[in-house]
Amino acid sequence: MKKTILIPTDFTVQSLNVLKTVLANNTTNLQFDIVLLHGVSLSDSIRDLLFYSKAKQIASLTNPEFEEAFEVIKNKFDSQINSMRIDLFTGYNQAAFNNYLEGNRVEQIVMTNQKLRLTNSKSFNLETFIEKSNVDVFVINAGEVATLPEKGKLAEVFFNHAQVG
Amino acid sequence: MPIKTMKRQSRTILLLLIPFLIVIFSFSIFIYYSVSNYSENYFFKLLEARAFKVAKEQLDNEEVVDRNVLDKLSFSEKLPHEKDFFIPIDDAIDLTFEAQRIGIPENFLRNVVKNNSDEYVSERYLYKGINYQSKSGKFIVITAAENYFQLNQAENLIQTLLFAIVASILLLLYIALYFSKNIFKPISIITEQVKEISSENLHLRLKDTNRSDELNELASTFNDMLDRIETSFETQNNFISNASHELRTPLTAIIGEADVALSKPRKPEDYIESLYIILHEAEKLDNKTKALLFLAQTGFNGKVQKFDKVRIDQLLWDVKENLESLNAKNKIHLDMELLPENPMKLKVNGNQQLLHLAFSNIISNGCKYSDYDTVVVSIGASDDFVYVVIRDKGIGIPENEIKYIYDPFFRASNTKNYEGYGIGLPLTRNIIRMHNGKMMVTSLENQGTTVQITLPVWQP
Repeated sequence: MKKTILIPTDFTVQSLNVLKTVLANNTTNLQFDIVLLHGVSLSDSIRDLLFYSKAKQIASLTNPEFEEAFEVIKNKFDSQINSMRIDLFTGYNQAAFNNYLEGNRVEQIVMTNQKLRLTNSKSFNLETFIEKSNVDVFVINAGEVATLPEKGKLAEVFFNHAQVG
Repeated sequence: MPIKTMKRQSRTILLLLIPFLIVIFSFSIFIYYSVSNYSENYFFKLLEARAFKVAKEQLDNEEVVDRNVLDKLSFSEKLPHEKDFFIPIDDAIDLTFEAQRIGIPENFLRNVVKNNSDEYVSERYLYKGINYQSKSGKFIVITAAENYFQLNQAENLIQTLLFAIVASILLLLYIALYFSKNIFKPISIITEQVKEISSENLHLRLKDTNRSDELNELASTFNDMLDRIETSFETQNNFISNASHELRTPLTAIIGEADVALSKPRKPEDYIESLYIILHEAEKLDNKTKALLFLAQTGFNGKVQKFDKVRIDQLLWDVKENLESLNAKNKIHLDMELLPENPMKLKVNGNQQLLHLAFSNIISNGCKYSDYDTVVVSIGASDDFVYVVIRDKGIGIPENEIKYIYDPFFRASNTKNYEGYGIGLPLTRNIIRMHNGKMMVTSLENQGTTVQITLPVWQP
């Protein structure tokens, strides 16, 4: 059994908590195709568009801690993950988003009730699109956010514990 | 100093000047010769055309009507100081005599007869000789005219070129002087500043100019190096004073205790008590020297240790068991939530004993400074690294002291109530470094400390 899920991300270790929770609470032998989606608007400059590369933009948005944590989770839940990728959504309207969901055959969207922290000025929040979409949305309670000494570091991924429900 | 500067400056000037001079001289010579060559060729052509015309007029009494030739060359007029000679070629011709008469070498006439034309350059005159077939027989026609270029223009050209050379040398000299002064000024400044810094005033730094050029880079590199030197200097100083202090404390206790015991005859129980105290202090001393020895051994890049495949989770279970048997109050929770499914990713290349020592150091520190609250040890792995995160809810490390935690014998200001020597962390870091790993300590005072250790995965 395979299932494609979409998780909005802001490239912080904290945002991977959703992913960890989903995978940790999966008791069936379901295999996931995971899309970590980040909303970012395209540049207006024609030159930028000419040399636009999605991989390059993703590389500029991520940070080593995020990538390490991403790999740690991937290694932990190896058997449950069929594929996992980071993608950018560059559309402007609901139709584009619905189209994206349909094109990628997304069956479920998983998100937290916690606000994403968008550090890049071009990034935008996907929440409004997600709310209006016709795909099943599953919200995870992020719990209380304590100030931890390891804030922003890889270590954070080990100590995030969210509840399902 | 000024002599050295002079030397450097004049060397730069020479370096700039010499290639320039070579280039400009070869240019001038080239220009002079090409101009003179061109004008000579042009003049000879003119002479040749003149010779034909004169010959036609004089020998054939014929007006030249070829408009084309007239248009091309303006040789209808006489050239300056033109002289024309006609020598009929017949049996009575005496080339030697004719040559002497005109003042030209005999060879020239012979060549004219043989090759139909020849050129000759004397000091003032240019000669052009041709064979001319007139109605009344064959003639040698020689036209000579003053070398106009050589007499009027050559000198002028040489003067112009010389003037240009002198002017450009002066200009370049000025530029070179300016450059050499300004290029080496910042270097001289840096040299001066570096000279001022000695072991007494290591806190001094070179001035940063905020410009992103090589010299600023040099200055900041110097500053970085000074930072490192200063730190190691201080560490060294602190280490010696701290080490002697740490070693003296138990020694003083032993000496004092023995002194008191020997001051008068006592009961056996008192002696036993004294000996116990002495033994206890001696053990402390022994522990400290052992730790120091270990620190020294791991600090060197000695190749004594044998490296092997080590499974991190196994190692951590061992550490946990060991620490809990040493002190029943230690509570260690091994968090396996992010343990990778593939056990190969948990293997690192390392020395079992050293890694055991490193992890027990950090975990026991966590237990100690959190008053035996639970210490959580988490394990995770990416494709290239194994991560071990040790987290306690203890007293933490004050923010401004976190940079000193790897100094031997340093103990944070809030650790007064806890026993320790301040060797554990530097030792652990040495061990992790030996394994090409990284160690990162983050802490919030009174909330806890997190130590993240990253070790490279064992590569087959």
